[in-house]
Amino acid sequence: MRYLLRVNMSDLTITKEDLPAGWARYGGRALTSAIVFAEVPPTADPLGADNVLVFAPGLLGGTNTPNGGRLSVGAKSPLTGGIKESNSGGQAANALGRLEIAAIIVTGKPADPDARYMLTIEADGSASLSRVDEWAGVQNYALADMIKATRPEDDRYSTITNGPAGEAGLKASGIAVSDMKGLPNRFAGRGGMGAVMGSKGLKAIVVSDKGVGTPAHADKEAFSAALKTFSSALKEHPVSGQGLPTYGTNVLTNILSEAGGLPTRNFSEGSFEGAEATSGERMREVTLERGGDVSHGCHTGCVIQCSRYYVDKDGHYKTKGPEYETVWSFGADCGIDDLDDIAELDRICGEFGLDTIEMGATMAVYMDSGKIAFGDGPAAIAALRSIFEGGEPGRVLGDGAEATGKAFGVAHIPVVKHQALPAYDPRAVQGIGVTYATSTMGADHTAGYTVATNILKVGGDVDPLKAEGQAELSRNLQIATAMLDALGFCIFVAFPVLDIPEAFNAIFEMTEAHTGQPWDADALMQVGKETLVYEKLFNDRAGFGPADDRLPEFFKNVELPPHNIKFMVSDADLDSVYDFVPEVAAQMGLE
Amino acid sequence: MKVDVALFASLSEYHSVDGDTRTRTYDLAEGTTIADLISVLGLPDQPRIVFVDSRHAEESAPLHEGQRLAIFPPVAGG
Repeated sequence: MRYLLRVNMSDLTITKEDLPAGWARYGGRALTSAIVFAEVPPTADPLGADNVLVFAPGLLGGTNTPNGGRLSVGAKSPLTGGIKESNSGGQAANALGRLEIAAIIVTGKPADPDARYMLTIEADGSASLSRVDEWAGVQNYALADMIKATRPEDDRYSTITNGPAGEAGLKASGIAVSDMKGLPNRFAGRGGMGAVMGSKGLKAIVVSDKGVGTPAHADKEAFSAALKTFSSALKEHPVSGQGLPTYGTNVLTNILSEAGGLPTRNFSEGSFEGAEATSGERMREVTLERGGDVSHGCHTGCVIQCSRYYVDKDGHYKTKGPEYETVWSFGADCGIDDLDDIAELDRICGEFGLDTIEMGATMAVYMDSGKIAFGDGPAAIAALRSIFEGGEPGRVLGDGAEATGKAFGVAHIPVVKHQALPAYDPRAVQGIGVTYATSTMGADHTAGYTVATNILKVGGDVDPLKAEGQAELSRNLQIATAMLDALGFCIFVAFPVLDIPEAFNAIFEMTEAHTGQPWDADALMQVGKETLVYEKLFNDRAGFGPADDRLPEFFKNVELPPHNIKFMVSDADLDSVYDFVPEVAAQMGLE
Repeated sequence: MKVDVALFASLSEYHSVDGDTRTRTYDLAEGTTIADLISVLGLPDQPRIVFVDSRHAEESAPLHEGQRLAIFPPVAGG
């Protein structure tokens, strides 16, 4: 039976609780958002004792479900001021799922702000807090080594760690999750979740699952049959079966540049002359030349295998990926066309525990101020290091694009709900602009990835340069994504699921066979809707209104080359995206 | 007429290029369509994403002097 592990950092107690019956259909994001909605006052100080930090594997977490090992991290966000679910790969969700922990709920705050704790969950389910004050300020990779020194040699464990950025309360801080080799290189990056973890004095979580099998299925045979169908679809679809494993997520750099939608030099152009030099194709060639690894999974059960290790000129591991969003943020958005500079910036973020999307966008805003030049990689590296190592501009960068833009008087600050826009310009990809504007998360491409349909022609074809159809597309994808996040799926399963009906059916067939409860397509979508209802109501009560569901004015007033186009989706269309909320909230007994 | 043609990802190997680009300039007869060129290049029979001057294009469309054609296999990420 899945259960909740509640860790109170005020009195340092740990308790196990039954999962409430009303949440039995929830996992992952559905559960983190339900818990935050139920337990956090919407106007709470995100870094205060009233906030909670929730770690939840998906409903199928711990099973052999292909690409079903994602981790949801939830809290009230210090960056957006709203609810947040930050999603990470890595091994921790699989380990928590095997232990049948539906969620870790971290509450309260230690009286001593200098105290640091490690939460250890052993394979027998026992959990304890230990004092690790000497680890204060330690960066993520060294921290991983220190943790390793505390574990038995034959252990199998995963880590969730907080770098110096989170300890310092920086709004761009993220939480690191170890990959299958134990490297702390997967991130719940967005929304300042590291700062929440830091406010609770929690430096690390260790989860051992040595010798622990997968949770039992209600109908093992039916589960295996559905799993086989699902796995075949992932391998057969050209995107998940060929494109992603061969080139990784950075395969997108060239196509977005060709489509005129790759935000370049702080969202001032849509194509980057350095796209080829920073592309997934080029990155694969460089990595192979240097003896790096160009295809592996980030968690047990991954069949897509889009992860890779970037190595330096001497063939030594530098960092994971870097992923497309990182290559874009420190690459095109900063005008930097050197993959080694981008990898160095990615590694620094990994060490400090900073969100690479927010930090690249922040660096581009800083460059736009004229303090350093677009394209100057070494200057960007020095500026990023200055957050902790002194010099200009220092700490302000770590609070993100909006804080930096205001500090340096920059006119164009690309944020929604205080969170930086990711790697698709909403003028050339109008659908993603709807998602950026309306998502409960702030600007977040993963919340409703219309790029699939607008640009990549997966799951249909909606013209990226027109306003028509974008609100409906975004709504449907936001609901479907919340559902996938609740089950613990990597969102890349959406590419085959959108194109292959059997793959979609296999999702509810696996869920039904695993839980023993009836599931169908409507039930899946209902969980997606309920997740968004919790999030929307929380944000409304935190003070958000329609004016917060808008892009910055310059996207509506300044044309983007090469299409010379503005964002055209009407406010009425934006306000229609969440029109299902009142009805579903009433069904849930809310409002 | 001269047309710049860029082939990406797994399609890159279907033509040789100069320098660090995936682009080559072709001298084509007037009226040549995208489909005609795809046939000449011998691209595999699979779905493709095609752009002409940064806009999605149908493969039946004729090419014109000075255009840039970019062809991708099915790819995605995020």
